Amino acid sequence: MFKLFSNVWNQFREYLVLISLVLISLSLLTQNNNPQVQKVRALAFGGFATVTSVFYDVFNITQLKNENQALRKLNAEMMIQVSMLREYGILNAELKGMLGINDTTSLPFLPSTIVSKSLSITQNTITLNAGSNEGIKPGMPVLSYRGLVGIIQTCSENFSIARTIKNVDLKLTVKNENKRLNGIMKWDGEKLVIVDVPRTYDFDVGDRIVTSEISSIIPVPIPVGIVAKIEEDKTGLLNLIHIKPFEEVLSVENVFILMLVENVEKNNLELNFYNR
Amino acid sequence: MKIKYFIPLFVFIPVVLIQLTVIPFVSIQGVVPNLLLIAVVYFSISNGQIFGTVTGASYGLLFDLISGNLVGSNMLSLTVAGFAAGYFSGETRREKYLYSYSFTLVVLISALINAMIFSFFSVMDFNTNFLQALFNHALLPSIYTSIVSILVVIIPYKRAFD
Repeated sequence: MFKLFSNVWNQFREYLVLISLVLISLSLLTQNNNPQVQKVRALAFGGFATVTSVFYDVFNITQLKNENQALRKLNAEMMIQVSMLREYGILNAELKGMLGINDTTSLPFLPSTIVSKSLSITQNTITLNAGSNEGIKPGMPVLSYRGLVGIIQTCSENFSIARTIKNVDLKLTVKNENKRLNGIMKWDGEKLVIVDVPRTYDFDVGDRIVTSEISSIIPVPIPVGIVAKIEEDKTGLLNLIHIKPFEEVLSVENVFILMLVENVEKNNLELNFYNR
Repeated sequence: MKIKYFIPLFVFIPVVLIQLTVIPFVSIQGVVPNLLLIAVVYFSISNGQIFGTVTGASYGLLFDLISGNLVGSNMLSLTVAGFAAGYFSGETRREKYLYSYSFTLVVLISALINAMIFSFFSVMDFNTNFLQALFNHALLPSIYTSIVSILVVIIPYKRAFD
């Protein structure tokens, strides 16, 4: 018996090793949501992100110069907008006062820096230098001053990993800002698209797309991009809306984390409602 | 115990650091070279098919864990790529494929296998045009990776890990 196994091993050991490792990989693929696997992952990337954050800063200096220049330009543009908004704000406060409406609360943002990026065509992720110690939780939106960047996927104590909008595993409910039409947006490996849009929906090239309030992930409307192209899907019954994102996730360096998780808020609200 | 078994582990850390921090700056339209794959192909040719397969699996698993990718996706693709590269290993073939420009061809083949398997688990659905997906997700990154792998041939470190 032993001789038989020995013969088989000697003849086919390369294939046996390959098959064993492929089987282990496939079983790991099915265990991604297992809490133990997530814990190991949080420990692994948390440890490694400390090293990459130092390394990344060194290579980031040239990018920072370009970003500073862009920010200066944007700052000038925003200064004009701020003065206009001040005018609107005064008018708004006056009108709200007349109608007796309370002002909305400000949103809790946490600034963070990207310490590493894992780029592939299908699964882009970024590692941020803020973690559960700062109150970060999976599901929180990550955005830049231009628009949505991604969603927090996993956290360690000091670091967190976010799936960017250019990740096939991230699907978001978005809406056409002007026409109030909702749809599911995803990254198909080549482009951002809103899928399965009925042909009767009135989308036009240039329309602004923001995250939808009905999203179970993102609680507030965050700019995502504009409609770049409208294409018939293969069935001919539905449209495929191509989106040009406002933020180029490959070049973004500094981001904000919106410290809200929609599900928790909704759950609390519904709980309070039912307890009444 | 032979030290050669630990060399891939020492090489992994600088390679993955460069992959996660420097390589994003040289991306072309989101297409980046895969340095881990180049390392796996190198070890597979220099140390044999089993060594390459196990190195591929280890690199893939570690990379999945620290990069936030789907755990098992890179492990699967790099395991098979390491196995495929192992066919170019052997006493007589090592010189031919490791220290000449043939190395880039081996990297190209392995990168294609790696990218196709990785893409299959990531993007394939009924709306995907298979040929176009193959071109965008497999061919372009593979070509970029094989171009970068020329460095392995031209930089005179050569037998450092042998």
